[in-house]
Amino acid sequence: MAFIKLIEHSSRRGVATHPYPEKPFEVDELYRGKPVLDASACIGCGACANACPAETIKVETDYGKGVRRWTIYYGRCIFCARCQEVCPVNAIELSREFELAAKNREDLTVVAEFKLGSCAKCKGYLDVSIRHVELAQKLLERSEIANIMQELARYMVMCLKCKRSFFVEKLGEATRG
Amino acid sequence: MGGEAEARKLLEKCVERLKELLPPDAIVDVKVKGKDRVYIEVKREYLPEALEKVYWELGGYLSSMVGTDDRSVDGHYRLYYIVSIEENVRHIQWKPWVVVYTKVPWDNPKFKSTTPKVPAASWYEREVKDLLGLEPTGHPDPRRLALPDDWPEGLYPMRKDFKFYERPPRQPKPYMFRPEKVSEGIVQIPMSPIHALADEPSQFRLFVDGERVVDVDYRMFYVFRGLEKLAEERFTYNQTSFLAERVCGICGYAHSTAYCEAVEDALDIEVPERAEYIRTIMLEVERLHSHMLNLGIACHLTAFDWGFMELFRIREKIMKVAEILSGGRKTYGMNLVGGVRRDIPKDKAKKVMELLKTVREEFKKALDVITSNELFLRRCEEVGILPKKVARALSVVGPLVRGSGLPRDTRYDHPYAAYKYIRVKPAVESGCDVFSRLMVRAREVLDALDIVEHALDQLPGGPILNEEKIELVEYAKGIGYDEAPRGENVHFVVIGKDSRVHKWRVRAATYNNWPALPYMSRDYTITDFPLIVASLDPCYSCTERVIIVDVKRKKTVTVSYARLVHLSRKVSQNPTHTPQLL
Repeated sequence: MAFIKLIEHSSRRGVATHPYPEKPFEVDELYRGKPVLDASACIGCGACANACPAETIKVETDYGKGVRRWTIYYGRCIFCARCQEVCPVNAIELSREFELAAKNREDLTVVAEFKLGSCAKCKGYLDVSIRHVELAQKLLERSEIANIMQELARYMVMCLKCKRSFFVEKLGEATRG
Repeated sequence: MGGEAEARKLLEKCVERLKELLPPDAIVDVKVKGKDRVYIEVKREYLPEALEKVYWELGGYLSSMVGTDDRSVDGHYRLYYIVSIEENVRHIQWKPWVVVYTKVPWDNPKFKSTTPKVPAASWYEREVKDLLGLEPTGHPDPRRLALPDDWPEGLYPMRKDFKFYERPPRQPKPYMFRPEKVSEGIVQIPMSPIHALADEPSQFRLFVDGERVVDVDYRMFYVFRGLEKLAEERFTYNQTSFLAERVCGICGYAHSTAYCEAVEDALDIEVPERAEYIRTIMLEVERLHSHMLNLGIACHLTAFDWGFMELFRIREKIMKVAEILSGGRKTYGMNLVGGVRRDIPKDKAKKVMELLKTVREEFKKALDVITSNELFLRRCEEVGILPKKVARALSVVGPLVRGSGLPRDTRYDHPYAAYKYIRVKPAVESGCDVFSRLMVRAREVLDALDIVEHALDQLPGGPILNEEKIELVEYAKGIGYDEAPRGENVHFVVIGKDSRVHKWRVRAATYNNWPALPYMSRDYTITDFPLIVASLDPCYSCTERVIIVDVKRKKTVTVSYARLVHLSRKVSQNPTHTPQLL
């Protein structure tokens, strides 16, 4: 009896396998695939690098070339979408692409460079990209403290070193009365 | 809730009873935390007695044991024995967690072994000896457990002064399999280093008399990756949830949930109800695919490949469900401390419900065909018997313990996530054999389908993540637990500095189950062995070879994988026939 049941069931089954390489495999619309950076929107702030559990995204400042360098190495990526979640400008998104095999390691690396702003005081490089400063300015204009914007704008375009000396100067003035 | 008052009362009763049972100066400190946890500090010399009383008199099961290096705090190591009190209190909703702990001074790192009194502690104490250098005096089996054989003596990687990037020089030393088992006529069969059908490399030494297995010894931890060390030194507490998901290839989500729960417990973070439901849904989806995999493999091992193919075909739909709900087939990446990251929209829930409906129908039909196949039944019934007594003594977990007639299920005993609202009845079978374990899994598949459907239907509204700023309290301790497909997972977390964890201890389900293997395999044939291992549900893969060493004739024969499978099948088709291996 058992075998009759078995034959009955198996005779009803068609082909279950998907003819994969010949036909593309459809994944769900919210599938977490390869993270893709929209370099035109990115400000190079490094929030993604900070959140990335696999340390696959790195953001570093190259003062020699005057750029903020954003790098992703897909070989380490765990497709968790933390970068997408923390991005303040929605510049990175997980696509539905999952076919990531490559022959060279280098093919799995994507680099984006963002120009650093220049310091209003010493004319050296700022520690953040131009876009980062622009975004901060835009946000400030819309915020409640827009009226002291003029004052703030002076600090915003200073490098860390100048900010520090500026602050010490001001502090000195204030204590001297 | 009435259940909470009841739980608290029971907790107090446990503490009082323990005070009566132990000498008056044994207990140093008692701290109750929440409704169902108590931390009891005992003096070092009374540790074995205290654990014995908690385990056997109060009816506890050893859930985990943790050794922490707190020398930087107060110059001591600490040993925490986490015991879940379950016997005779099955009706109570929140059963107590009793944590017995003791301090071990830095200049005398020794403690009396509890293993002679509580056999379940054996592995834990060997591990503490390896990783922290705390010597359990009087341990019956003091061989290495966690560290590789070529690791230098006297170097303990989980101590805080050892850095995660250090690479000590190798000092090769052979591992001694229990030699007293080799006697005249007994043949040793090493199955190694990649064991037949388990995808983790582990070395088994079968001692056989003809075709009959007399005893089994094992050497594992070849894939000891030091994840806990990595989390303690390199990851922030929020990143660790993703690392926790990679502890296991099958029940990763259960680990990540247990880790998040441990941190939430330590820092008293509330999880929104909707997040709890979503966690439950994902945990059950994971259980579905894991159990179907195990049932499928059991069919494969008994040469009933129709069942294997059919169950994997059905399982593929579950993988699709996971993809729809989480965006990934296997690693869901849904958990953060304080909730989940991804919501389930209504249209997705509807799509999933439809898929689950077909899964239920097809699974029922497949199960009917499989369980009416006599060849399959004859391979599984009354094979690999694990007596109830042994299961109790070794604190085994999951379908293994439920197959031996003990109704242990963390979802029922310590309701976490949404199991507070959705009560689960443990699926218990009393046969104690491979077939019972498979039936437990089959019943749990059907239960899990019910739970997912119910939870999707009853999904409450509200936020999915507690976004309040998290205050990190240094050295706050927390226990996280859940019922993974293979059994109870317990995570223990001590919060540290700089948003890191000071100590993270992962205890996976199989850790409690492996020591039961020798008891299950004795007196069965070599060809039953893979099936017995499979019924324990470790991870699977295929072996390259098995070497047979005839000690008497000093002869070595290599059996290919194909031949082993061939021999297994020969037995499956004719149970009275014993194939000639040599």
